[in-house]
Amino acid sequence: MVSATTNPSPGMRFYVLLWAGLLGIVIVEVLLTYAHLRPLSLTISLVALAVIEAGVALMYFMHLKYERRILFWSLIPALVFVLVMFDHFWPDAFRVRSMRLPATSSSTAAGGG
Amino acid sequence: MDHAHGAVAEERPYGVPTRKLVMWLFIIADAATFGAILFAYGYVRVGSADWTKPFAFYPTIVNAIVMTFVLLTSSLTMLGGVRAASAGRPTAIRWLGATILLGITFAGLHLREWFSMIHEGWSPSHNPLGGSPLFGAAFFGITGLHMLHVLGGVIAIGVVTLLYRRGRLDASYIETTGLYWHFVDLVWMFVFPLVYLLNAR
Repeated sequence: MVSATTNPSPGMRFYVLLWAGLLGIVIVEVLLTYAHLRPLSLTISLVALAVIEAGVALMYFMHLKYERRILFWSLIPALVFVLVMFDHFWPDAFRVRSMRLPATSSSTAAGGG
Repeated sequence: MDHAHGAVAEERPYGVPTRKLVMWLFIIADAATFGAILFAYGYVRVGSADWTKPFAFYPTIVNAIVMTFVLLTSSLTMLGGVRAASAGRPTAIRWLGATILLGITFAGLHLREWFSMIHEGWSPSHNPLGGSPLFGAAFFGITGLHMLHVLGGVIAIGVVTLLYRRGRLDASYIETTGLYWHFVDLVWMFVFPLVYLLNAR
């Protein structure tokens, strides 16, 4: 059978520190939410903090940092490329915003977008 | 036959067992799925004239903070389980049991919130506050898909733990299951700010 892992990884104390750091980021996110930032600033701040959290989870909790680099370079750029392609359609959302029907109090489906 | 033996003897290009590589490929594909659904949520949010921000700090945001704490802690206990299993320590079972309990707690808190919203009249096609019904579709769609992953993870960890305890699986299976569990946690790191905090009153 294959052993679980042969890669070096830090001790449990290090992971507890990371866990505390991630909880700290969650608290910062909540504080920012109620700091009356502009919607765009808040959205960018929250996404940036979420990306940092995800990076920590990916590299340390999921041990990607301790695998061969080729695993990282085979997986992550491909995912980022896909997400950037999704992002490519964002301007279209703003086009829809200028084309949309006026709001009604009992908004039903707005005619297929 | 010789060819088959030759193939088995080849060095793994990624240096990880096939099972782990397949889990990584699944995770990347699943990340693209969640990415697509979160982008779609952003799209309909920007495109809706009367988007609703229904979440009060108490109980919804507080509940979501507790859920985040529970899920993050379950990642830590999963790490404890993987490390203990790799070292052959029997405490692995306890770490994994704690992870399962935390996963069930997360799902329970989530379901309680869902039932509360459904009781208020929310559904994927109805907004009781009179705004865009797409809020319900986005909320229940995204959180439902995530909850499905959590419940699937709890079952998977339970089965792997049971078989590991009986000696039918080795520690590498726990590591692979742990990868999936951390990914479920990673997705929540985006769901919490984008779906909950951005819709706080």
